[in-house]
Amino acid sequence: MAETMKQTVASMLNGIERYNPDNLPTLERYVEMQSKENTYDLEANLAVLKLYQFNPHSFNLDITCQILLKALTNLPHTDFILCKCLLTEKQLATDPINQIIYLADILEQCDFQLFWTRIRTTPELTQKIVGFLDSIRKFVCHVVGITFQIIHRNHLAVLLGGIDDKTLQVWVKKYGWKFEENELVFIGNQDENIKTKNISEKIDFDSVGHIMASCR
Amino acid sequence: MNYDDYEQNYDYNSYDEYGSHTGDPNQDAEYNRQQYSMPETVKQFLNYFRNNIQEGPIFELQSLYELSWPKLTEDYFEKRPWPEESEVSEIVGDDPVFMILYKELYFRHIYARIQGGPTLEQRFNSFYNYCDLFNYILSASEPVPLELPDLWLWELIDEFVYQFQSFSQYRARLQKKTQQELETLNSNNKVWNVLCVLNVLHSLVDKSNIKQQLEIYASGGDPDSVAGEFGSHSLYKMLGYFSLVGLLRLHSLLGDYYQAIKVLENIEVHKKSQYAHIPACQISTSYYVGFAYMMMRRYSDAIRTFSGILLYIQRTKQLFASKTYQHDQINKQTDQMYHLLAICLVLHPQCIDESIQQTLREKSYHEKMYKMQYGDLAEFENSFVYACPKFLSPYPPPVGSILDDYSKEAIQHQTQVFMDEVQQQRMLPTIRSYLKLYTTLPLSKLATFMAQNNRNDGQWDLDKETQSLLIHLLCFKHKMKNVVWLKGASGLEGKFQSGSELDFYIDNDMIHIADTKVAHRYGDFFIRKILKFEDLNRKLHILKLPASSS
Repeated sequence: MAETMKQTVASMLNGIERYNPDNLPTLERYVEMQSKENTYDLEANLAVLKLYQFNPHSFNLDITCQILLKALTNLPHTDFILCKCLLTEKQLATDPINQIIYLADILEQCDFQLFWTRIRTTPELTQKIVGFLDSIRKFVCHVVGITFQIIHRNHLAVLLGGIDDKTLQVWVKKYGWKFEENELVFIGNQDENIKTKNISEKIDFDSVGHIMASCR
Repeated sequence: MNYDDYEQNYDYNSYDEYGSHTGDPNQDAEYNRQQYSMPETVKQFLNYFRNNIQEGPIFELQSLYELSWPKLTEDYFEKRPWPEESEVSEIVGDDPVFMILYKELYFRHIYARIQGGPTLEQRFNSFYNYCDLFNYILSASEPVPLELPDLWLWELIDEFVYQFQSFSQYRARLQKKTQQELETLNSNNKVWNVLCVLNVLHSLVDKSNIKQQLEIYASGGDPDSVAGEFGSHSLYKMLGYFSLVGLLRLHSLLGDYYQAIKVLENIEVHKKSQYAHIPACQISTSYYVGFAYMMMRRYSDAIRTFSGILLYIQRTKQLFASKTYQHDQINKQTDQMYHLLAICLVLHPQCIDESIQQTLREKSYHEKMYKMQYGDLAEFENSFVYACPKFLSPYPPPVGSILDDYSKEAIQHQTQVFMDEVQQQRMLPTIRSYLKLYTTLPLSKLATFMAQNNRNDGQWDLDKETQSLLIHLLCFKHKMKNVVWLKGASGLEGKFQSGSELDFYIDNDMIHIADTKVAHRYGDFFIRKILKFEDLNRKLHILKLPASSS
């Protein structure tokens, strides 16, 4: 359903039509749909925040929260910052937006353990967003994937939110990682990508050509 | 009237004839009270200007706009407005199009030069004049018979956005407004309304088919094939292009960085193109694009954008030196971009062009970078506030708000968003400085270093320190892996890359570090010096000394 909606919405985002407040109800419905169906459309969501920016009296707290949480599901992309920049300081301080800002802050600092503790104390905050926790796990896997060659199994499970052994196996398999001896998980060969670079000076022929020509 | 006639009569030295300021305050005040009579030179200029707008060659119009107008401004209107509309129309006769263009320059001069800035009435009238101008251009059923120099068109659009910005700031400063002013403002909400400004810029973009033209141009085709009736006219085409840059600026001022970058689809910022020949426009474009990238944590892209344009400015500096009124603006924006580049390089150390690096080593930049590297948050904030665009809130404070100054709210907010990011990254420079010293380093050893650095009481627990170090290391990797543009029409596209000079990975308990080692570059330096020497030598040879010529 969100897919067909995407087409309708795309026409609402073109040119000056983007600022038409009459489109707001449709765009807000589209946000709800994204939350329920686990789809995502950054551009449409930014258009909603823009309409709030231009029409402060239409500001809808619930929709804004959903947009912000959806932006978190797209980490490591910086969508959350883009959303934040379209709000005002006053709006950011409103509850529960301030709680979402806090979640974003600890996620950006990769303090995943703290994040999971926090989520457990306020589960209702993110409940509306289908697949929210797994989206965050994907982000965790992204960060682990670029950081580790080998990681301890327990450490990985903690980063993913204290998941049980069976779930851990699913995630490890999904990313093509391998369990090894001594409770270790092999992530991948990083030394192929991450190695010391030596930049030596290269002078191309063209630039020396001028000089040679003038030396006649 | 041809050019020669004009030249004969146009005598800059006849300044005194028309009774200018004496420099004596009492006499000057007296002079101002008298009925002001327009200098003959100005009259002649206005007539000649009008004729050239109607039918003159474009290069002549260009010199009138770029040289004569600023020169006359300096001579006669340094601190006073140009003559009123009624006085001018008496001289040039009934010519609505000329009067609109004249008034645009008239108001622009008031915004730029008159102390205390424009009055409320002048702001309104300038807005109505823009409406007249854009209505004339946009509502015509066929392209209007008007051709203006590209620089004029650029400055027109840029000024339009600037005056909107200026109005929004003015509007948000409630504390000094009289009751009457507030009432006028509240009952005229359409004036300088953000939607109206957006509408004008979008309409100019649509009318000119500039997006389609750029798309074809980017793929190597002939833009004229899709330009349409309006878009093939230089006036519409260039207004369309400059409106895209105007939108870039406007979106940036509103904190909408996504749209800011998106609006420039199919424009490769660094590439020379048939549209990119106005230096001020190029510089402004790069400033806003680079800034948007920086806010989106796309440091590599920001650094590429800033260093590209700064290099261009370095190499073409002499070009702008002659045109003073553009010079100030360009200098300011250049300095701002060096600040932004410095911020980006502190957050994301990376190799850049040697000559740009050289400038950053000089002057105050070096000290600022040093402070930022050592975690001086105030320095980050100061540099940011100095270098960022003048953000604004699209809507005035609601009627009945406390009479306060609301003009700083938007800038405070954007600063806060940026400082949140800096705060999240605060541990990274310290970690980087340790990692730089090793090729491999056990986690526990780095944790010990960090603990000793942070606590001087010796009371710490290695396990806890290692835990917190691991979090910082994950954060390091996350923050240093950013989307980088590689190719494609949209500047929003890109792939995740680690562009910073230092990288590492963790193998269970061991950190493996990869640094970038750059060999000193001599070639570029010597090549440039040799060419310069050759050039000098050649000039010397051409020079004929008086002795040898006789």
